[in-house]
Amino acid sequence: MRALPALLLFLLLSLSASAQSTFTVSGYVKDAANGETLIGAVVYDKDTKQGASSNTFGYFVLNLPPGPHTLVMTYIGYSDDVRTIDLTANMTLTIEARTNTIVAKEFEVVGDRSKQNTEGTQMGTMDVDVSKLQTLPALLGEVDILKTLQFLPGVKSNGEGNSGFYVRGGGPDQNLILLDNATVYNASHLFGFFSVFNADAVKNIELIKGGMPANHGGRTSSVLDITMKDGNDKAFHGQGGIGLISSRLTLEGPIIKDKSSFIVSARRTYIDVLAKPFINPEGAFAGSGYYFYDLNAKANYRLSDKDRFYLSGYFGRDVFNLSGSEPGSPNFKIPWGNATVSGRWNHVFGPKLFLNTTAVFSDYQFSFTGGQDDFSFGLSSGIKDYGLKLDFNQYPTVRHSLKYGLQYTYHIYTPSTVDVESGDAEFAIDTPSKLRAHEGAIYIQDDYDVTDELRVNLGVRLSYFAHVGGFKEYLLDDAGRTTGIKDYTTGQPIKTYAGLEPRVSMRYKVGPTSSVKASFNRNLQYVHLASFSSIGLPTDVWIPSGKNVEPQIAHQYAVGYFRDLWDRKYEASVEVYYKDMFNQIEYAEGTQPQDGGNANYDQFLVFGKGWSYGAEFFLKRRMGKFTGWAGYTWSKTMRRFPDVNNGNEFPSRWDRRHDMSLVMSYELNERWSFGGTFVYSTGQATTLPVQRYFIEGRVVSQFSERNSFRMAAYHRLDLAATLKNKPTKEINDKTTGETTTVQRKYRSSWTFSVYNAYNRANPYFYYFTTEGTAAGGDLRPVAKQVSLFSILPSVTWNFHF
Amino acid sequence: MERILPYLFLLSAAAFLVGCEKEITVELPETAEQFVVEGSIEPGLPPFVILTRTQSYFDPLDQAALSNIYVRNALVNVDNGNGPVQLEQLCSTSLTDDQRALFSEITGLDPGLLASVDICVYTTGNTALFGEVGRTYTLRIEAEGKVLTSETTIPNPVVLDSVWFELALQRPDDDSLGFAWGTLSDPDTMGNYYRWMARRISKDEDGISEDPTFISPLGNTFEDKYVNGLTFDFSFIRGRQFYSDQPEDNNEEAGFYKVGDTIAVKFLSIGYDEHEFYTSYDENVSTQGDLFGTPVNARSNIDGGLGIWAGWGVYADTIICQ
Repeated sequence: MRALPALLLFLLLSLSASAQSTFTVSGYVKDAANGETLIGAVVYDKDTKQGASSNTFGYFVLNLPPGPHTLVMTYIGYSDDVRTIDLTANMTLTIEARTNTIVAKEFEVVGDRSKQNTEGTQMGTMDVDVSKLQTLPALLGEVDILKTLQFLPGVKSNGEGNSGFYVRGGGPDQNLILLDNATVYNASHLFGFFSVFNADAVKNIELIKGGMPANHGGRTSSVLDITMKDGNDKAFHGQGGIGLISSRLTLEGPIIKDKSSFIVSARRTYIDVLAKPFINPEGAFAGSGYYFYDLNAKANYRLSDKDRFYLSGYFGRDVFNLSGSEPGSPNFKIPWGNATVSGRWNHVFGPKLFLNTTAVFSDYQFSFTGGQDDFSFGLSSGIKDYGLKLDFNQYPTVRHSLKYGLQYTYHIYTPSTVDVESGDAEFAIDTPSKLRAHEGAIYIQDDYDVTDELRVNLGVRLSYFAHVGGFKEYLLDDAGRTTGIKDYTTGQPIKTYAGLEPRVSMRYKVGPTSSVKASFNRNLQYVHLASFSSIGLPTDVWIPSGKNVEPQIAHQYAVGYFRDLWDRKYEASVEVYYKDMFNQIEYAEGTQPQDGGNANYDQFLVFGKGWSYGAEFFLKRRMGKFTGWAGYTWSKTMRRFPDVNNGNEFPSRWDRRHDMSLVMSYELNERWSFGGTFVYSTGQATTLPVQRYFIEGRVVSQFSERNSFRMAAYHRLDLAATLKNKPTKEINDKTTGETTTVQRKYRSSWTFSVYNAYNRANPYFYYFTTEGTAAGGDLRPVAKQVSLFSILPSVTWNFHF
Repeated sequence: MERILPYLFLLSAAAFLVGCEKEITVELPETAEQFVVEGSIEPGLPPFVILTRTQSYFDPLDQAALSNIYVRNALVNVDNGNGPVQLEQLCSTSLTDDQRALFSEITGLDPGLLASVDICVYTTGNTALFGEVGRTYTLRIEAEGKVLTSETTIPNPVVLDSVWFELALQRPDDDSLGFAWGTLSDPDTMGNYYRWMARRISKDEDGISEDPTFISPLGNTFEDKYVNGLTFDFSFIRGRQFYSDQPEDNNEEAGFYKVGDTIAVKFLSIGYDEHEFYTSYDENVSTQGDLFGTPVNARSNIDGGLGIWAGWGVYADTIICQ
């Protein structure tokens, strides 16, 4: 671990060596129409070719020599902003960008911000512009950010209709999902069919699947950084939509014009309302229902050019009730959901130093209560986070862009808590200890232009984790039976871990429009999601590292070739990666959620390692009427656990040899646009019985090696067509008889989409059963495939004013 | 109970999902055949051992195939500490009807099936080897070049305070269907494992017992982890035989006992390994075709093979449903 001093020394030397007399141009890039700051806009000097891109808050800094300069701001979908300045001192600038209405809009998803594809050191980073997702087909018309990510190479879905995603062989818990800097622990509603993010409230999405910079950590696989809209600070607007299963409404506007704005966005499903007519009111399940709702809210206040405040929150709940009308029938109530609050303060110390301070609260709760007759059963779990982050951006010289900061989180976990009563007898199940932990990190990274061709991003992160009391540990004998209890007092350290996480990525330009990039990163992860089933139910429980649970570690190596083609109309890349994962976690075979009673939280876990490698190909057309992309991934993902599958290696559930996706969008005219997506992937690995035998007259299955079967390949075509009302209307002035054309204030559109257009019966799961009867003499074993969604048309009506 | 949870989610999803199902062909790899032991010993009775072999999952289920799974002419020895005693092979088609009825009770197999398929069991008439509480029994089997071994102990039976029949609250308008109940006072020491079995011994119109054998409904093996030292009531549904085509297993009476039934109850005390086997066996059988079930092999206590060699501490009682 001598890397850190060496790195710091290197940074110091390079900083002092390149110090020279320059002035600084700094400021914000905003949308002229609604005041939203623009993330990743590029500002560059035409003469020196020096450039900078705006950060998450729209802030940019350029260091330039004194004298006249021509500054150009470019941002996809916006007209270039060109201005001449004469630099005699440090200056601040607010660039108000105007949307580009003349050229047909580019397809926005993804990765490029003009030259970013070949210029930046970042590898494996993808941006998604949410505003254009509405023209893509969606399951039941529900626009879903996470499902769009699954079309990107290296990102795989967790099966039919599921918004869970897996990045380069990593598990679902290895993705750090941030909503305005607050961690979201369970990002899906209902079985994973819908993600918790309401696209109307979201401004920007960035997915980092490789070469994770040092300012992010705590997860080994990827970062999904979601930025909520700030709200229009010029005028009051609203938008919304009515779909088959849910409706949405978003309102935004200034609190103080040009200084302060708000946005509130809500969504609720009405499956319960729709299902009601089909539920017999006299039947056993009358009174049952399911729905979810989301609420996003954000406000910001600009105290001065130097200080800005943001307060944002998310609240979402799924509620499922089952209650019978007849006495004695079972009753259940199952609410679960996330809440996050983050308060942020941006402060510009000087043109070269930018600070963002974030205070975060995040909460995920699951509970289940049910009963029948005088028997009652309860199960609950959850996680609460309190955090503080200080992130500095510093731009000391032309060639350096520094980020450093510190992050701290206090976690409180509630492991599965079981509660059972039968009549007067309450079962003797202890309330398990809550698990408390401190997680901290400091980091520093430098984006350094060594030469005009070579740019290096060097970073290091030092992370720390401590599981602390109060805690009640069950002492066990060799056979795993409880022999006693050890109490830890509040705050008493039980187990601490610390680790260095070096991160390096570099870009070398091999031509005006092409570059080669390479990266290495080491990531530590101190929290784990242990899953009971294969599909990610809300019963899955987050657990911290501790005495017997070591942090997960991943090492990822990647190289890639990036090239822009045909006047940068197309961008293309090939990336190859290898990833090693240590201390991976699973429940021991056959563990059930209720086993957690009167036991240590880590008692039923087993540990192993994993590895993944692959090649990702990506080609995207970003301009013109016809836009979209094609991605192809070849990869292999394996696991080996001493206590699983007799210690033999086995393919992970999300191992897919081939994975291909096509996303296309065509804008016919100002009213009609069309979208289409196609996916193909190797079938999912699964475990099936290979032998059978009889005990007490019943058939017992003897299973194959873990995941040694492949289901049939998955492929699907979705189509969508969007019809907008005319953007302008003609007003006939009766007095003069003149007709003038004005922009409509009120816009609406219909989106018609078809999911699974050629009605492919994709496998959801396989099972074996028997048909016929022994008496009839026609008893025989059969294999069945269950498919979830056949062809599903839907229509959504959206409006905007 | 815990298994209900995933189904609830599925139910909710089903409110708007359009699922479909079709039969497919799955190519299974060739796997080596294994021997399977189903053996038990209880106080006052001889040991019974059934030795079968595994089949490929899609092998036919006809009577010829069933007959072939029995491993015949094996050398089966049980040792209660006084030296090994070899068990004799009894095959069902060479028995009298009365012997076959007894055979049926022991094996849990249908008497009709026993008459048509040659099913073999290994046992002994040597009373020195009959089960005794607290004693450990070592099993050793040699057949077709394979050796299988295991060991089990008969635990002290735990007596139920009472057993009775109660009408089901689910059916308020019905005055005939209900469940079997029992009151258990769990001993104060941790580590008691139980299994419930029952059999309707009331006669049907043909004059034979309604259930040919004792049946343990799935999910009725439990431990005292959460109930140590407590006294509490519990209820059990009526178990059914696999592939049962009796009318009361295929209509609204399925799972219920009925006024007029007489139920013989066997409440078993078993050991830790036996509990591990029966719970995983229940899980394996009950999650067949279940999306949410993680694949669980039954955790055998047999070295060199699959299955179970179990000592049962038996508390027996009778319930008259009225």
